[in-house]
Amino acid sequence: MGESKAQLPGVPLHEEGRAADLDLIRRVAQGDESALSILYARYSGVVYSVANRVLRDTGAAEEVLQDIFYQLWGNAANYDAARGGLGGWLLVSARNRAIDRLRRRKPVDTATTEEVIPMACNLESSVAQSELMSRIRSAFDLLPPSQRQAVELAYFEGMTHSEIAQHTGEPLGTVKSRLRSALQSLRQVLKP
Amino acid sequence: MSEHPQFEEIFDEYVLGALEGEEKRTLDAHLSTCAGCGRKLEEARERLALMAFAAPPTRPSPAVKDRLMRQVAAATRLRFTPAPVRKRSGFWGWGVPVFAVAAVVLAIITGFLAHRNALIEARLKTLEASEAQFMAAEKQERAGMARAQSIMDVLTSPATLKVSLVPAQAHPAPQGKAFFNPEKGLVFYAADLPQLPAGRTYQLWLVPTHGNPLSAGIFATDAQGNGEVLLPPLPRGVSAKAFAVTIEPAGGEPQPTGKKVLIGAVS
Repeated sequence: MGESKAQLPGVPLHEEGRAADLDLIRRVAQGDESALSILYARYSGVVYSVANRVLRDTGAAEEVLQDIFYQLWGNAANYDAARGGLGGWLLVSARNRAIDRLRRRKPVDTATTEEVIPMACNLESSVAQSELMSRIRSAFDLLPPSQRQAVELAYFEGMTHSEIAQHTGEPLGTVKSRLRSALQSLRQVLKP
Repeated sequence: MSEHPQFEEIFDEYVLGALEGEEKRTLDAHLSTCAGCGRKLEEARERLALMAFAAPPTRPSPAVKDRLMRQVAAATRLRFTPAPVRKRSGFWGWGVPVFAVAAVVLAIITGFLAHRNALIEARLKTLEASEAQFMAAEKQERAGMARAQSIMDVLTSPATLKVSLVPAQAHPAPQGKAFFNPEKGLVFYAADLPQLPAGRTYQLWLVPTHGNPLSAGIFATDAQGNGEVLLPPLPRGVSAKAFAVTIEPAGGEPQPTGKKVLIGAVS
């Protein structure tokens, strides 16, 4: 892309805030700590928010946050940046690792967990993230309470159908129907 | 090839981990043979990623970043410790440098463990406080349903204009986005705005096709320079030509007096 500019230490270029994830992860792979710092500024908020909501424990959420970015630092060379989707990977990792920790289990399906998710939408700008947050939180608010509960138990607690049924005391068929209705409503909104 | 799944939502349930037993086995078997459904699974993973934005927004303490960058710096030092190129010597048979590296590794691990212990103790103290905080926050969320509906209306209505605001001068960082529907209202987000000195505020303006600019409200920015104006009171049915953000004295002004920091024209 553009040539890298020499910069005085401690004087951030405004353009740095706009550098694409693709360029940043390549720089991280070369040992550029400032690139990791920018990625952290870009994604730590939402990564931490998910971990915090799942774990309801700021200390544990902080550890998940630190682990995810430290792993990014260590594995950047193996990351296939051309496929895109760093933001998606970070968000899915945040949720899955927090769930694994909540349920005290070893990460099971790491192939699925660690897979690159090509994201059609732009997660790189704060404005885009603010808009997504507003849109998606509003959509959750609008779900009928029983549907909202089902999808939140599935997403934030990592519960299976039968676990949700046990937790809510509802029949399995009802739970599946509610979760599917919620996911159907959310499909329109969970888009770039 | 086995049959395609009946419900599209089953892919979302699969990536959520909600699917189990026979339903999961059936889908696993089908996915191993069907590329089309493999793509649907990828789309479901993208939706799973976006669900993260449903979490209540909170900021981590700055200490996390400090710990991360120290960890990163320590790893870098280890990686670039020069390998000893000398004859075997010394009591241990490998020479001093390897021992020194091992000591550094041990110190880092010990330091890390000690730090984790401190974290665990701190966590025990904050656990109850966090719980209470979340209960209160969630109650507040549910109370915002009507407002959420109004915001959704503005964002998703086909008649809504989307206006991107860019810096009025050559200062690349600040940005803004206005979603304006003359009947349903205005939703505005800004990012990367510089902190203002005391006694000053940002003010959003709607510039109509005819007449003077209308104030759409004042707003503050957080430490990251993000700000928003959601559903300010505005006359209905106004035809907008442009939107702008200026710096005004605290409390705002009836007409713009200060420097324009963001501007965007309706196209």
